[in-house]
Amino acid sequence: MSVHTEPAVRVTGLTRTYHADGEPVHALAGVDASFQRGTFTAIMGPSGSGKSTLLQAAAGLDRPTDGSVWIGGTELSRLSETKLTELRRGRIGFVFQAFNLIGALTVEENILLPLRLAGARPDRAWITQVVDRVGLGQRLRHRPSALSGGQQQRVAIARALASRPEVIFCDEPTGALDTNTAAEVLTLLRAIVDEHGQTVVMVTHDPVAASYADRVMVLADGRIVHDMPQPGADRIAEHLATLGRSRAVTR
Amino acid sequence: MISLATRMLRHRPGSSVATLLALALGALILTAMGVLVESGLRYHPAPVRYAAADLVVARPDTTFTSREFDGEIYRSTVALPEGGTVPAGLAGRIRGIEGVATVAVDENIAVHTGAGTPLSGRGWASAVLTPYELVDGRAPANDDDVVLSTDPVPGGLDSGVAPGGAASGGVSTGEAGRARVGEQVRLVVGGVLRTYRISGLARGNGNAAAVFFSDAHAAALAPHRGAVSAVGVIAAPGTDLGRLADQVGQVAGDTAVLRRADSGLAERSADGAAAGLLIQVGASFGGYVILLIVFVVAATIGLSVRHRRRDLALVRAVAATPGQVRRMIMAESALVSVFASAIGVPAGLAAAGWLTGELTSRGFVPEGFPMAPGVIAAAGATGVILVSAVLAGLLAARRISGIKPAEALGEAAIEPVSAGRVRWISGLVALTAAGSSAFAAVAAGGQTALGAALGMLYLFVLAVALLAPWINAAAARLLAPLLRAAFGTSGYLAAANLRANARGAASVLTSLVLAVGFGGSVWFLQNNLERQAVAQSRSGLIATRALVTGAGLSDSVVAEVRAVPGVRAATPVRNTSVVASVMGDGEVIGARAVDPAGIDATLDLGVTSGSLADLRDGTAAVSRTQASTFGWDLGEKVALRLGDGTPADVRVVAIYEHGLGFGDVVLPRSAVIGHTATNLDDQILISAPASADVALREIAAAHPGAALVDTGTVTGGLAKDLALSAWLNRLLIAVMVGYTVVAAANTMVMAALARRRELAVLRLTGVTRRQVKRMINAEQAGLLGVAVLLGGTIAALTLSSVVRALTGNLVPYVPPLGVATVLGGTAVLALATTILPIARLLRVPPVEHIGVRE
Repeated sequence: MSVHTEPAVRVTGLTRTYHADGEPVHALAGVDASFQRGTFTAIMGPSGSGKSTLLQAAAGLDRPTDGSVWIGGTELSRLSETKLTELRRGRIGFVFQAFNLIGALTVEENILLPLRLAGARPDRAWITQVVDRVGLGQRLRHRPSALSGGQQQRVAIARALASRPEVIFCDEPTGALDTNTAAEVLTLLRAIVDEHGQTVVMVTHDPVAASYADRVMVLADGRIVHDMPQPGADRIAEHLATLGRSRAVTR
Repeated sequence: MISLATRMLRHRPGSSVATLLALALGALILTAMGVLVESGLRYHPAPVRYAAADLVVARPDTTFTSREFDGEIYRSTVALPEGGTVPAGLAGRIRGIEGVATVAVDENIAVHTGAGTPLSGRGWASAVLTPYELVDGRAPANDDDVVLSTDPVPGGLDSGVAPGGAASGGVSTGEAGRARVGEQVRLVVGGVLRTYRISGLARGNGNAAAVFFSDAHAAALAPHRGAVSAVGVIAAPGTDLGRLADQVGQVAGDTAVLRRADSGLAERSADGAAAGLLIQVGASFGGYVILLIVFVVAATIGLSVRHRRRDLALVRAVAATPGQVRRMIMAESALVSVFASAIGVPAGLAAAGWLTGELTSRGFVPEGFPMAPGVIAAAGATGVILVSAVLAGLLAARRISGIKPAEALGEAAIEPVSAGRVRWISGLVALTAAGSSAFAAVAAGGQTALGAALGMLYLFVLAVALLAPWINAAAARLLAPLLRAAFGTSGYLAAANLRANARGAASVLTSLVLAVGFGGSVWFLQNNLERQAVAQSRSGLIATRALVTGAGLSDSVVAEVRAVPGVRAATPVRNTSVVASVMGDGEVIGARAVDPAGIDATLDLGVTSGSLADLRDGTAAVSRTQASTFGWDLGEKVALRLGDGTPADVRVVAIYEHGLGFGDVVLPRSAVIGHTATNLDDQILISAPASADVALREIAAAHPGAALVDTGTVTGGLAKDLALSAWLNRLLIAVMVGYTVVAAANTMVMAALARRRELAVLRLTGVTRRQVKRMINAEQAGLLGVAVLLGGTIAALTLSSVVRALTGNLVPYVPPLGVATVLGGTAVLALATTILPIARLLRVPPVEHIGVRE
């Protein structure tokens, strides 16, 4: 665990309003949350609950309508698009559901891409350590198309780790994987939290995936409705089911 | 960034094939045009006529000076269309300078053989400048003597021994056309048939067969009074030529003193004229094509950016700033342009070789004109292609800011719902600009008219390109019921696609509109110019007969014609040019000099204001287009220079309509006497009853080379001349139209192939292959309808406003076959370039495409 008391990510009063067919839609209706360093948080919720919007806003991929986002000591709302990009490539890692990698580049080049775009010299020892950790030492010269889905996700995790970010955001990282491969990827994520004190925030709709996390946040209608420390897959599923039923009833 | 761009390109070369093709074709055209310009610019006439002269004093060009806004002096130099002159008295003053061995004046005297072959007529004193040396006989001593050069004369010489010789073609002197000393020869000199005695034969290395007269006779025959074409100086051995040139320069005043290397500039030659033509043609068309390339390539790069949205969003999300992605796109375009140049430039050099052959065989360029190898042209074209590609990349990369990094997260890349306000406003601005330019004054002349038309066309197409999303959306809404009725379910899907993908289809629509707009306007512009010129000439000629000749007609002929009983009026006409300054640049304007007496009975210029009756020395009539281009008003005093550079401030006394048929400036004949190269008339328009024909024909017979023709023939001749110069315009316009067609095909194939995933989804949801095809047909029919409507409107607006400015006709002439070609061609293009690639996609089972990354 980190010695810092400051959270890795903090959002306050976060709202995000879209306009669809002239009607305002509140994807986030005032969310306050902080994610401590060295923790693994899963964000869950039914479709349209705002979980992806929360992730995008917290990761600086999208700008909130109101409220503020802090990555460490930096507030994002005042940053220009270029400053925001620079912050993302240095202090935030990403793992998406699929299409994480640039097909034109080899595994190694994909891993080094953020560093290269930043014009930074890669820390060779660290990269070797990361590559060994995700178990891709033999595949560095391959193209992503030659890898399995699970291997591709591991490359994405290696890329996210390469710049030693403050936080890694994952958007359904196992959504396109079978159960065994998904378990492999989740174990890897769990391990980087435990072994390297990495902070991970993951959006998922799979209670099993969420059970790897230290903490599970459940969103509904743009608000946090549950915030549970290590609840276990069964309890998560139960909560989600209740949520689904109550929503069905209110309609 | 460049290495990343290289990797991206190597991984997916397909996305850049369209750009590569467009750029390679552009490189081909630009290289070919560049070779023309380079050859023209590098042309430096070698001294022939003055090869033996150390210095030549002449006035080959005229310079306009003006002050620019920033106070800088701006100079524009134009070659004098009739050749400049220097004062005859100059020779005497030069003779007194120390170090001068020989001074000789040179005259260009128009001489033709009885068979009509032009000869170079000179005074014997100038023979040393070439040099010509006597090989037989002696120098001409009196007015009847001539020395002939030993060069063979095409058509032979007319000895005048055989009676009635001229009409029957004449008898060649001696064996194989060789003249002998002591024989007689008949020559048309100064428009008059004369008999001379061959006093000697001379050998020299001139441009053409030459005839030398005695100096006194030459001075009498010379076209200029008190002035000569050039003064040649041969220095005494050991003289410092630089110093001598300075000293001659001091007495020579504002005329040019040319050293040996430059003395070719003082010679009027077909090569010099060809060099000017090559520069003009190459530069203007090259310029139009550059704009076209930027337009087309911006569209193809834009499309490839759109198709790789997902990749780019990912790069943006993980690390790249918008600036970095923009630079990556530009680096990619630059790389593609290098490959394109590697393909296009050699092809362009080959094309230039072919073009040179065609230009030579059609008489635009003399045989043996030194064409440049094209090294500079190749480098230039490569550079221009590179810059155009980067510029187009920059335009396309502006869209990058519209790509949200969050798009990398979502399941599908959804088009942003609405296009930007900026685009909407820019589109309206472009439309307004295009609309108002249609009403602006348009310059005269084939080349400039084409430029104006293209400018307007580009603005219209730009407006369509910018407004395309809204046009497509509106069209989809309007066409939906129609498509549904015609194509059923497929039509319903097609309308939905058109509506949903309004932005994606923008580049397809734009390229179709560009092809229709181009094909429908500039191509027909030439038809209109030709027809109008012939029509103006026909309706403007009141005279029934014309005496025409290539050898020139002297003053006495007009008097002879006027003396024929029944002749109501005879108007001698001289074709010449004047030079005027427009915005500080000297420009050569085609002009006619006429005798205003009795002109009402021979010519109708379509005078709209003022009167030709006021035409006398110090006045001029100008065409309506010329007046509007130069901003000249009736009664205004305008500063012209005659064809030999003599300043002539004239008052505009009449403005007329028939500028295409008769030239843009009409001067009184008296004003140009002594100021044209030959000082002879080119034709005499005659208003006379048929009864006068016999007498008129007798006059024609007395002047070898002259013929009496019906004025209808004159018009026919004009049409033939126009058709010849039109060949070049047509060829180049065809190249441009062809380029837009290839670009459109390119864009559509690219757009079609990018739809594999979408089509796979449709087929998996149960849409049959036939229905997919019908859907595509319906979509293309919809797009085609909109494109033809817009392109047709644009073409009609452009064509009619240019034609109106040039001819005053609001309704342009459009050949029916041309319309059919444009419409049919576009339809075939739209269907073939979409349906064939789609059919290929449909042959593959849909599951194979469903996993394909976009």
